[in-house]
Amino acid sequence: MTQRHILLFFISLFYVSIATSQIENDTIKIKEKYGIRIGVDVSKPIHSIFETESKGFEIVSDFRFLKNYYAAVELGVLDKTTNEDYINFTTKGSYFKVGINYNAYENWVGMNNEIYVGLRYGLSFFDQTLNNYTPNVKGTYFIAETLEPNMQFSDLTAHWVEFVFGMKVETFKNLYLGVSISFNNLISTTDPENFKNLYVPGFNRVFLNNTGVGFNYTLSYLIPIIKKNK
Amino acid sequence: MKKNLILMALLFLAILSCEKDDICIEDTTPNLVLRFYDNENQTEVKQITDLTVWAINYDSIYVNESLDSIAAPLDLNQNATTYILVNNLVNDTITFSYDRNDIFVSRSCGYKTTFDNMQIESNTTNWIKNININNTLIDNDTTAHITIFH
Repeated sequence: MTQRHILLFFISLFYVSIATSQIENDTIKIKEKYGIRIGVDVSKPIHSIFETESKGFEIVSDFRFLKNYYAAVELGVLDKTTNEDYINFTTKGSYFKVGINYNAYENWVGMNNEIYVGLRYGLSFFDQTLNNYTPNVKGTYFIAETLEPNMQFSDLTAHWVEFVFGMKVETFKNLYLGVSISFNNLISTTDPENFKNLYVPGFNRVFLNNTGVGFNYTLSYLIPIIKKNK
Repeated sequence: MKKNLILMALLFLAILSCEKDDICIEDTTPNLVLRFYDNENQTEVKQITDLTVWAINYDSIYVNESLDSIAAPLDLNQNATTYILVNNLVNDTITFSYDRNDIFVSRSCGYKTTFDNMQIESNTTNWIKNININNTLIDNDTTAHITIFH
């Protein structure tokens, strides 16, 4: 009698284990999309409409190579005139940034959003044109005339590092809206003679201690290449 | 949460690290500094008791003042400036000639003009006995560039 009970117990255990394994086989597989995302910075063309002194365009792209890591690239061109109290100059050039983003956001099933931190290396090739300047003199005894040298400084370069913080939200299928802020630190730059790179394409305004800030508003499209199980 | 805190701290630091460079605090275009010495005892500073100074065609910069040195602006649109110095109602005229160089200072200050090859083009000697140029380069206004003996 007891032997039969023991046998039944083991048989039931066996069935339970089979039953649970069958449940596991039934689970829905969650697929995550991996691919290349390509987009544009929408703020720069909008800036160009309202500010005639600034014309810029930037293409952004990233590639998911690990679950939470993305390789990112930004390419851009800029033509911007800066007017200060005593100087007016035009910066014209192109830039390129490369780096990685780490997604710190834990998505719910089916969501593909990102809150990320990133690092970039930036490189820019540009020209500066000193359009005009007024020698700065304290007092109003002799008032300096504004000079228009239209002096062009060509073949200037700058490179820097950026710390990026941003987010991307999938609004429609594979279409992402992104916003990011970057804190830039200049590594080195070739300064023109008797002038300074006060604005660098991609880096933006160069502050006194060689720092800068950047904002990006992007619209990008994901081209899925592979779908992996989560 | 901890991650967020670190991020916030980094953001805060990054914002703090941006310096204000909108206000011009550096030295800009210098003035010409003239100092008055005794002609008899040439190491001795000699004050002028009633001094009036103006650049030709401009307003006075000093009127009936008692001084041993003056700071006179130089015309930064010309390569010469003529000053009239009146010592107790006696006039003397000095014309300074120079070259101008514009030196970049900073974003907010722009360029300053410095003056080089300072020369006395002409001068009258009614009360001024002698003029000495201490420094032909005028790039600051902390030391006297010209010594006038009277």
